[in-house]
Amino acid sequence: MENKTGFNGSESYVASPELMASVNVAIALEKPLLIKGEPGTGKTMLAQAIAQSLGKELLIWNIKSTTKAQEGLYVYDTIQRLYDSQFGEEGVDDIGHYIKLGKLGEAFKSENEPVLLIDEIDKADLEFPNDLLWELDKMEFYIHETKETVKAKKRPIVIITSNAEKELPDAFLRRCIFHYIEFPDKELMEEIVKVHFPDLQDNLLQECMEQFYWIRSLKDIRKKPSTSELVDWIQALLLGGISAEEVKEKMPFVGVLLKKDEDLAVFKKRRLDV
Amino acid sequence: MFSPFFYVLKAKGLEVSTTEWLTLMNALNKGLCGASLTQFYYVARMILVKSEADYDRFDVAFEEYFKDFKYYADIPDAIRKFLDKPEVEVDHSNDELFKPRSEELSKEEIEGMFEERKTEQKTEHNGGSYWIGTNGTSTFGHNGKQPGGIRIGGQSALKSAFQVVGDRRFADFRNDKALNIRQFQVAFRRLRQFSSKIEAPKTELDLDGTIDSTCNNGGYLKLEFEKPRKNTVKLLLLFDSGGTMMPFSTLCNNLFQAVHKANHFKDVKTYYFHNCIYSHVYNSPECDYGDWVESEWLFKNLDADYKVIIVGDAQMAPEELFHNTGNYRGPNNGLSGYEWLTWYTKKFKKVVWLNPRYHANVAKLDWLEAEHAIAGLIRMFPLSVDGLKYAIEELMSTKR
Repeated sequence: MENKTGFNGSESYVASPELMASVNVAIALEKPLLIKGEPGTGKTMLAQAIAQSLGKELLIWNIKSTTKAQEGLYVYDTIQRLYDSQFGEEGVDDIGHYIKLGKLGEAFKSENEPVLLIDEIDKADLEFPNDLLWELDKMEFYIHETKETVKAKKRPIVIITSNAEKELPDAFLRRCIFHYIEFPDKELMEEIVKVHFPDLQDNLLQECMEQFYWIRSLKDIRKKPSTSELVDWIQALLLGGISAEEVKEKMPFVGVLLKKDEDLAVFKKRRLDV
Repeated sequence: MFSPFFYVLKAKGLEVSTTEWLTLMNALNKGLCGASLTQFYYVARMILVKSEADYDRFDVAFEEYFKDFKYYADIPDAIRKFLDKPEVEVDHSNDELFKPRSEELSKEEIEGMFEERKTEQKTEHNGGSYWIGTNGTSTFGHNGKQPGGIRIGGQSALKSAFQVVGDRRFADFRNDKALNIRQFQVAFRRLRQFSSKIEAPKTELDLDGTIDSTCNNGGYLKLEFEKPRKNTVKLLLLFDSGGTMMPFSTLCNNLFQAVHKANHFKDVKTYYFHNCIYSHVYNSPECDYGDWVESEWLFKNLDADYKVIIVGDAQMAPEELFHNTGNYRGPNNGLSGYEWLTWYTKKFKKVVWLNPRYHANVAKLDWLEAEHAIAGLIRMFPLSVDGLKYAIEELMSTKR
């Protein structure tokens, strides 16, 4: 992408050229960017990296199974108002006092184009994305209580991540730019690891990569280890002062990579086979 | 516009909408594709494709559309416009895409002849084999059929195949069509039975209680909370994974995924069977001998409130259903398949059967004896979005 001012990855985040292109296209077209990918491929970190490299504020809206779309816009704290009114607190007559903006609201109000991360949108109710269509399209919403329209002065850069727990509605998908983060190949992975551990010895790195990709290649592993687990594992190896030979022979701390009992059993069995 | 590409995508089963297409046009206008086909590929993909499962379809469509452009002139204007950026030097002569296909005439020859004839020709020509015009077999013109010739605007006749795409353009609106996971998920949302008799902290405002307490408190607000209401529906899914079910594996998989992604059920148990249910149900779709649980174990350990959904095509030989040694893959334990199925309907309050090969007129079709007999025992519905809706109504109804 011929975009000198655009996103080019950051010091702590290594992005593939396709991913960088997606980010820049999403920014140029003013559309939300939907990111999917295996757990641990750095979906959430992407937003941080974008904010960092473009020098913008980052707002994170973490979605849970109970999150409602309305919460992202604003919440009217009626109970607080009721309480205050009983004790004659000041400012009770001003409803605006009890309107608390959600993350989306904050992003709209922000003066300088922030990066808004809507993290794990698929965790919420099935209809959740549909409830945000208008707001994400028009970048505005209406507060009924104060008859005020909150409109974004500058469209925030919206990054949405999904783990594909639920299918997202078509109407929502149509409005997004989509990118699927592929699992990094060895080359890119080495680069990623080096960002985290700049002083890592080469032979240890090679050995770890070897073992890591070998485990991932086992067909009967149910939960394949991901980038973040590899990073944790190398961290553990470094703290334990373990050499490349020991990794090869004993595979210490393998529990960091494999979390399921079945997977550990498979791993042990397969290691005997080799 | 290069809308033919749009239809290639549609033909390959990609659900590209007009909105997305216009977004892509917008991206082209903004010059986001630069001047390279590769960048165009990525930009088109990120805008038009919304699931990694569809990436492959996109690739196939992309190749099919772009491999046909052996001539630079064949490339539709919209693409040419971005390839034609004066600031970028594009050397078409070395490009794989633009190698001439026609053996009789090289690109240069055709182009030369074209220039010549343009100066010769003074009138409009439609049909015929020499002049520039429409519907002819001359090397030049509109709607022509000469392979490798130069086309001046219009739609190449070779592309008319894409019009076929339009034939079923309303298919998506049919709601009897068995559809995708999301539609199953939406249907499953109806399967709810709320109860507040659960183990959970009191987190929801109890309005009536709050009013009472506030009154008792002399008008000063006193909040009361209650337990949230939760769905108490428990499901037992039994899938037929026999050979005749192979064509429906995607459909069954969608249903399975929909149930497992719907996290609102209190419990979901899934087992498999081959053709008919006997004394054992299998843990995995492979139906490996021994990897099973006994039907009687289910009767003892799952309470009667489990709602049972059996998915199968009910296609089997009559003796597989009626004979007490009819199970050719495992034990019968003294009862015929029909008797085992009867036990399921006795043990569980609600049982429905979803059939991907549903026959509404089963009574008239003699060779479907087994399906007819089962439909008489267990209410059977087609495995489609509508069928699932009715099946769920049946599961939720209170009458037995």
